[in-house]
Amino acid sequence: MRSYAAQRAVLAIVQLAVLSVLVFVLTTLLPGDAAEMRFTETLAPEQVERMRAQLGLDQPALERFTQWLGNVLTGDLGTSLISGGPVTDIVRNSVGATVVLTLATLAVVVPLAVALGIVMGTRENGRLDRAITSVTLALSAIPDFVIAVLLVAVFSLKLGWLPATWIGGDLLASPVLLVLPVAVLFGRTVCLLSRQVRAGTITALQAEYVVQARRLGVPRRRLLVRHVLPNAAVPGVQELARTGDTLLGGVLVVEAIFAIPGFATALVDGVETRDVPVVQGLTLVLAVAALVINLGADLLCNRLVPRTELLR
Amino acid sequence: MTSRARSGVLARVPLAVSAALVLVPLLVAVLGPLVPLDARPGLPYNAQGALGTDGLGRDVLQLLLTGGRTALGMAFGAVLVAYLAGGLIGLTAASTRHRWLDEALIRPLDVLLPLPSLLVISVVAVGWRASAFAITLAVAMVNVPTVARLVRAAALDAASGPVVEALRMQRESWFGIHLGYVGRAVLGPVAADIGTRITLAVFLVASVNFLGLGLSPTAPDWAVSVSRNREGLLLQPWAVIAPALMLVSFTLGFNLLADRLVHHSRRLVEVAR
Repeated sequence: MRSYAAQRAVLAIVQLAVLSVLVFVLTTLLPGDAAEMRFTETLAPEQVERMRAQLGLDQPALERFTQWLGNVLTGDLGTSLISGGPVTDIVRNSVGATVVLTLATLAVVVPLAVALGIVMGTRENGRLDRAITSVTLALSAIPDFVIAVLLVAVFSLKLGWLPATWIGGDLLASPVLLVLPVAVLFGRTVCLLSRQVRAGTITALQAEYVVQARRLGVPRRRLLVRHVLPNAAVPGVQELARTGDTLLGGVLVVEAIFAIPGFATALVDGVETRDVPVVQGLTLVLAVAALVINLGADLLCNRLVPRTELLR
Repeated sequence: MTSRARSGVLARVPLAVSAALVLVPLLVAVLGPLVPLDARPGLPYNAQGALGTDGLGRDVLQLLLTGGRTALGMAFGAVLVAYLAGGLIGLTAASTRHRWLDEALIRPLDVLLPLPSLLVISVVAVGWRASAFAITLAVAMVNVPTVARLVRAAALDAASGPVVEALRMQRESWFGIHLGYVGRAVLGPVAADIGTRITLAVFLVASVNFLGLGLSPTAPDWAVSVSRNREGLLLQPWAVIAPALMLVSFTLGFNLLADRLVHHSRRLVEVAR
């Protein structure tokens, strides 16, 4: 019998292959190619034609794909049409800020969501549970950018306590820059996550092995940490991988609002200037990151609560 | 099993209040463009008119009345398309007797599932800039895998139960079983899912438009308005707050309604078992 990890890894490899095709097809299907986009205003048609040959755009799609894939596999993501520099440099320069922002948010969100979820789950339908559920339900209904705009208005424009935009310098060196962005990102993620942990805790508490452990006189704390939490964490971890998506959307918005030079800013710039190689490169890197995160989450879930088959 | 009480104080908010929270923005979005309003452009961030003017000197009330069509319409359209495609895939996968067909329909979706939605949309936005139709389709595409899986799971859940077995033994027709019983059993979870999915779609569409990846920056759309006028928030708060309130009211109301439906459908599922 193949192990779960091996099966899951095979799925991830298939996903990766499909994904690279998808990224390429989506970006090449776009109306108007790079040569046209960039030069129609200034160049004559025959010059555009020469440009196209130079960029290799006159080759058939399959040939372009194998060439692109070959380059990607050797770590070459192509050249930016706007700056003329390699896309790998753009990726390398922008990834830091996004990683710092995401990790800082997770460092706040995960412990809080787990704690809230357990507090709610162990007091199902109690007053505290209802109060927290209400607040999280309401908070999760407010779009990130509305929260961001309001927080900036109050804390930086009115009160002047916190900086409204990134003014240069290292994010890690000046944590004060992170306060507002993390505050924006934290709201919805905590809501989504704590609700999952709550549901997981309630289900685990009703399971027979927990009832039995309680009968055997296992102390409450040990019961929660040893028996309930691993099972309650499974929907939480899966949700975390899924909220990666929500979080990424939030990170995009936050980077745009606070002018943080991260991945999202680079992506939006790429889209705005129709710099296809940059969009291709950034999309591919982010999609791979999403795949790896999902793979990690599934493997972690399987460690917590072993299953023999792929979850369907 | 004890009936699980609805969660939270907010769930005890009367139905009328949640309905009103949804209906107000919805009516503004649908009927707003029909309201005859003779608003003349004035100075930027001016107090003229009921809600003042925005950064381009346009009347905020008029923008509000015309901006809902895209803000909500694109989300509704996306969920509709996602359900037409995903529902069909899910139902086919669940009702087929050929395991290979089920696998062939569902496995490719597993591959697409972890794709970050904003990435798909931003790639689409490179080529079809400012096209409401393209963005709607992109948002729909992102939702198809989860919809298909949900519909398939709900249909299998109902179709593998003892009720279907009993119906089959009573020689109930295929259509009678699938449309009459399984179809109805699927409706509960589907209704609950549509509730949460529409809120998510509104979020996604709004974020895309806010980032400037979607509609053009001069469109009257609510999210675009919030984005464009945010630097004037302290000068002319209504230009930001009015469209933001519309969006929040809609998503909050829909969340409350969806929460109700989730509990209702859970009861339905329990009864069906």
